[in-house]
Amino acid sequence: MFGVKAFELIRDLTLTGPEALPLYNSETVRQVLEEMRVLYERNQRDVNNSVNEDSSYLGTVHLRHAALERNKRCLLAYLVNRLQRIRDLRWDFGSVLPGDVAGSLCEQEVQWLQNYNRHLATYMRGLDGLDLTQEHCPPKSLCLEVRCLQDYGLFELEDGEQVLLKKDSIHLLPRSECLMLIRQGVLEHIPH
Amino acid sequence: MYVQDLKSGFYDLLVGKRAIIFVNYDVDAICAFKILQHLLKYDDILFTMVPVQGISDLKREFDETPNENVIILINCGGSIDIVEELQPDPDVVFFVVDSHRPTDVCNIYSQSQIRLLRKIEDDENVPDFETIFRDDDEDINEDSAHSSASEGDEPEGRHEKRARKTEESVMKQRDKRLWEEKRNRTLFEYSQFSYYGRSSSAIVFEVAWKVSKDNLELLWWAVVGLTEQLILDKIESHQFILEAGNLQTHMLRLSHQQDKGDSGSVMRITFEKDLQLSLYRHWSIESSLFNTRFTACKLKIWSLNGERRLQQLLADMGIPIAQSKQKFCAMDLQLRHEFCDKMEMQAVKYGLDGIGCESFTLQCGYRQRYSASDVVFSLVALLESTESGRSSKINFMDTLDSLSRAKRPLLEAGISRAKDLLVNIFQFVRNTITMGLIHSAGPFLYLTVQEGLVNCSQLLKPHCLGMLTRFVLEAYVASSKSRRSAAQPLVISAPYMDGIRLLLGIPPIKEDSPRNFFGKAFENAAERSQVEAFSELFDTSYILIRAEDQDRFFDALIKVLQ
Repeated sequence: MFGVKAFELIRDLTLTGPEALPLYNSETVRQVLEEMRVLYERNQRDVNNSVNEDSSYLGTVHLRHAALERNKRCLLAYLVNRLQRIRDLRWDFGSVLPGDVAGSLCEQEVQWLQNYNRHLATYMRGLDGLDLTQEHCPPKSLCLEVRCLQDYGLFELEDGEQVLLKKDSIHLLPRSECLMLIRQGVLEHIPH
Repeated sequence: MYVQDLKSGFYDLLVGKRAIIFVNYDVDAICAFKILQHLLKYDDILFTMVPVQGISDLKREFDETPNENVIILINCGGSIDIVEELQPDPDVVFFVVDSHRPTDVCNIYSQSQIRLLRKIEDDENVPDFETIFRDDDEDINEDSAHSSASEGDEPEGRHEKRARKTEESVMKQRDKRLWEEKRNRTLFEYSQFSYYGRSSSAIVFEVAWKVSKDNLELLWWAVVGLTEQLILDKIESHQFILEAGNLQTHMLRLSHQQDKGDSGSVMRITFEKDLQLSLYRHWSIESSLFNTRFTACKLKIWSLNGERRLQQLLADMGIPIAQSKQKFCAMDLQLRHEFCDKMEMQAVKYGLDGIGCESFTLQCGYRQRYSASDVVFSLVALLESTESGRSSKINFMDTLDSLSRAKRPLLEAGISRAKDLLVNIFQFVRNTITMGLIHSAGPFLYLTVQEGLVNCSQLLKPHCLGMLTRFVLEAYVASSKSRRSAAQPLVISAPYMDGIRLLLGIPPIKEDSPRNFFGKAFENAAERSQVEAFSELFDTSYILIRAEDQDRFFDALIKVLQ
C-alpha cells in the first residue's frame, strides 16, 4: 500500500514523545523517496500514453498523484519536526548538544544547527552580549530571595562584596549571581 | 540615638547598600522581619538574614559575617552594650528595633553608630547624660596645669602650695566618688525592672506606612506581633488596647482602599468582640474551656468540683454536652452564633468576667477565620517544636513561612501542635497542683522540674516555659488557702541541656504590671554565691546555671530578695 513507509516516519516521531530526538531514519527516508520515484515514473508513462485525451488512465494518475503528495507531506513534516526539536534542544542545552543526542542527527541537520548557532550568536552579540538562552521568559524581578541549603562559605558578588552563605539563612541577591548557585543546589529560591 | 523620622532616618539610608539582619527567636521579631522582607524585596535592597537565639549566638554570627556597613537588629541587642560586646568597626551603622527594655544607656547616647528606631516612651526615665558620662580628662588636665604653675611660681611658699593642691585634689576625689555613687544608683534604678515596650512589628509597619507600601497583609503581621506580646504576658492590656487602636485606624483606612471586586481572594481584617478562650474555633468548646489559663484557674478545673462547675456552665448556656465535645465548626449553626453572647451572660455568675475581649480576626475569601491569638499559638508551637531531627533554624524558617498566605497548611499544622502543647501544659499544671510540688522559699515560691516529670520536652523551651510558669502560678494562687501566695513571685527551674538548668522568674499575680525584677536579682545572686550564671537569652528573666550550683544559687537568691 502506498504511503505506509511515510507513515512509519511520522510514527517514529510521535512514539518517542515531544522532546526526544530518535535516530535519523535514513533507510526509511530512502525507501519513501524510492517509492515516490516509482510512482512518478509510472505516472509520467501513463500521462505520456494518454496524451491524446484517453481518459481511461485518469483515475490511476490521480491516485498516484495523491500518493505522491502524501509522501511529500509526510517527509516534509518529518524533517521540519526534527529541526524544531533540535532547535528546542539547543535552547535547553546550549550550543553543544550532549553525545547521544548529537549522534542521532544526520550531517545536514548538523550543518543546519551550526548555521543556527552562528545566527543566534551574532544576534546576541548585537544585543551587547545579553545571553538570551538563560531564561525562557523575561524575569519579573531584578533580585531573587533565596534560602541557603548548605554551608557554602564566603561568596563574592560582582561588586566585590562578600556574602557568608551559611545553612538556613535567607538572602536577597541579584538574579545573575544566584542562578548558578541555584542550579548547583546550594541555594533554594523562595517564591513569594 | 533615637531616629525621629523613620523614612529619612532609616529607610532612605538602606537604598543601595546591603543590610545584614539579625532576628531573635520570637514571634514578634519574625513578624517584624516578614514586613521588612516585603519592603526590601520590592526596593531591591540586598539583605542577608541570620536568626540568633542569644547573646553568644549574636556575637558568633557577627564575627563570622564579612564586613558590612548596615546592620539591623530585630528584638535583639537593644538591652546590651552593642559597641562593647560586638566590637564593630567605627563605620558600621546599627539600626535597632527592640522591644526589650530597659535599653542600654550606651546605645541611647551613642552619637551615630547605634540608632534606635523608636521614640522615647514616657515611663522610661532614662538617666541624663551628665549623671552617667563624665569627662575624666578634665581632672588630669587640671592637675598637670597646677603642677606646672607651681613650678613657675617661686615666691609662694612650697608648703602652702602643696597643701592647697592636696586639698583640691581631695575635694575632687570626693566629688568623683559621690558622682560615681550617684551614677551607680541611677543605673541600678534604671535597669532594675525589665519589661517590654512597643512591639517591633508595629514599628516596622509604621516604616512601611511612611514609605506608602503598606497593605492588609503587612498589617496582619503587625497585629500578630502585637498580640503575641499580650498573650505571652509581656505587656499589659491597656498598652495592648492603645496600640490596637492605632492599628485599627490603619485597618479602616486600608480596608476602604481595597478593591471590592473579587470577594474570593479578598483579605478581611476585623476588630471585634471575642472571647479569651484559646483556639476555640479550631477545637471543641469543652477542650478550649479546659485548657485556657483564664477559665481553668477561675473554675479550678483540675478538681472534681471544677469539672462539675464546667458542666453546669455549659448547661446554663444551653449547649448539650455531646455538642460541646465536638469540634466548634461541627456544632449547630445556632449554637455557634450565640456562643459568644451566652458566654458573656453566664460569665459573671461563674466568676469569669473579663472573658470577653476585643481581638483581630482575619478572613481570606470564604476560608476559615483565624483570630490573631490562634495564629500566635500556632507560631509559638511551630517555633519551639521538638520533633526529632529538626534543628531550631528549620523551625524558625517554618514559622516564617507559615505567615505567608500560600502556606496555609503549615499554619494548620501549627494549630494542631498548639493544641497538643496546651493540653500538655494543663496536664503538667494539674500534676503540679495535685502533688503539691510548689514550695515556698521565703520571699518567693519555687518549682523544680525534674527530667522524668515532663513527658513533653517542648514545655522546656523558653516561650512555652513562660506560658507554663504563668499558668502554674495562677493555678497555685487559685487553689491555695493562704492570701500571701498572690503576692509571691515564682521561680521555676527546668532542665535545658545536659547539666545545665534554665531558671525563669515571674512577678507575682497581684501586680498587674509585667515588670520583672528577676534580671537584676539573678545577677546579684550569682555574684553573691560565686555561681557561674549565663544570661544567655535577651530576656533577662531567664538565666542558665549548672545543675549542681542550683542550691547555692537559690540560697543566695533568698538573701537578695529579702
